[in-house]
Amino acid sequence: METIQQILSFDFLLRNSLYTSVLVGFACPLVGVFLVMRRLVFMGVALPQISSTGVAIALSLPLWIGFKLTEFGSHSAHALAFVGSITFSLTAILVLAFLERRGRGQAEGRLGSAYVVAAALSILLLSKNPYGEIGWLDMLKGEVIAISNFDLLLTAVTLALVLAVLGLFHKELLLVSFDRDMATILGKKVIFWDVLLYLLIGLTVSMAVLSVGPLIAFGFLLIPALTAHLYAHNMRQFTLLASLIGGATAFFGFWIAYRWDLPVGPMDVVLLGVLYATGWLVAKLLPIVLCHIQKT
Amino acid sequence: MNESVITLENLSIGYNGQPVLSGLTLSIFRGSFNAILGANGSGKTTLLKTLLGLLQPVAGRIDTASVDARLTFGYVPQSYQFDPVYLLTGFDVALMGVYGRIRPGHFIPPFERTFTHECLNAAGAEDFSHKRFAELSGGQKQRVLIARALTTRPDILVLDEPTAGVDREATAAVMDFISQICKEKKITVLLVTHDFSAVRHYAEKVIWLHEGKVFYEAADELLSAERMAKIFELGMG
Repeated sequence: METIQQILSFDFLLRNSLYTSVLVGFACPLVGVFLVMRRLVFMGVALPQISSTGVAIALSLPLWIGFKLTEFGSHSAHALAFVGSITFSLTAILVLAFLERRGRGQAEGRLGSAYVVAAALSILLLSKNPYGEIGWLDMLKGEVIAISNFDLLLTAVTLALVLAVLGLFHKELLLVSFDRDMATILGKKVIFWDVLLYLLIGLTVSMAVLSVGPLIAFGFLLIPALTAHLYAHNMRQFTLLASLIGGATAFFGFWIAYRWDLPVGPMDVVLLGVLYATGWLVAKLLPIVLCHIQKT
Repeated sequence: MNESVITLENLSIGYNGQPVLSGLTLSIFRGSFNAILGANGSGKTTLLKTLLGLLQPVAGRIDTASVDARLTFGYVPQSYQFDPVYLLTGFDVALMGVYGRIRPGHFIPPFERTFTHECLNAAGAEDFSHKRFAELSGGQKQRVLIARALTTRPDILVLDEPTAGVDREATAAVMDFISQICKEKKITVLLVTHDFSAVRHYAEKVIWLHEGKVFYEAADELLSAERMAKIFELGMG
């Protein structure tokens, strides 16, 4: 209890890390529900890794052309990382979604290959970059420690944007996902809404990877949505429950990690995993137990 | 009654520029009940998708009678094609029909929700509209999808195999309802099926796709024993 009071106090040293984790926890599942509904779960795994490779390449560029990152200052380096992250995320999601829509080849194979190549490339770049040992390794491990005010602001603005777009255009995005033919017949610009959704997913993933790393982004994109799907009865409940699970897990994960001096990212993801497994067991076993009680 | 609502002129339909069926020339009349019959792979669904604007014609023209605006199609797809992962109730699915009248970023006004309930009621789906769509029976899903088509306020009701996977009793109920709606609301019906018996008592006109040929005649004439024997002889010859 004392620890909770401590981390909630305004002068808490790692408050930016806490706020950012919770915001990412709320934001990622909002777009994660669309990945689950569109059966693009593998994309949710591959995309954050590709995005982090984008960060790695962007931060390596100055070194390749003979500059040191320290000469740029932290804000410039951050802007560079953001450009790398968002460029790779958006390009990857648009290309992968286009190939997915064409329905040729093996989507799982493509996404798996993209994931493993992106991960390997990140490690290669990391090994040849003196900055990497300090910054990237923490990011790849999901150590949410050095979160600047800029990171926090970026995360908050992205969450607000995702909420606004999803709130305003939910019916169009849902219709295009559920029944493309009907959307076309009703005169909706299907390609436009598809691209908007993919941009939203790409933006959220970029923001999450840049703030908290690919590990937490993986976890928060998919696991809250999968857990919420077990209990939700309609789309509104599905979206809200997934977002609440994400936000609450981010908070309690941070608390546990801080209390027992553990890395935040892995703690969050393990907590999400435990929640999903428990939720699944309860959802499957509860009807059987209730039925047994009724019989006896 | 004899006002043409859709006219096909030397239409060729197919995929990627390759025609599946060519030389379609016919007129569909307002308020008529038309069945599109044919075996699997005869081009029924391709014709339907072309009429709905989901596929571009390979050649030829589709003219519509609507002067002031484009025709509104109320589309009833096959019910099994929907992914059960979507947590949508029957009402949520039926409500999608009104989306065409609401601009992006605008919320659904209460009167459209009331209208959706009226359409569900008319389709006999109001009682189970609060249930998950994925958990409804085949016949119940069809009724919800018909209600969704009605919420579009359609000029033409287009149904793709509405009785597929539905038992005989439910098939008769669905066909009775479609026929009744067609008469009451003066809606043109285009119904795709491979089941002759399901539609022969309801359809006024039949478009029969048979071995690359198109027959468009009154149902009684086309489905008579003599005419059928002649067509099959032609086909075999």
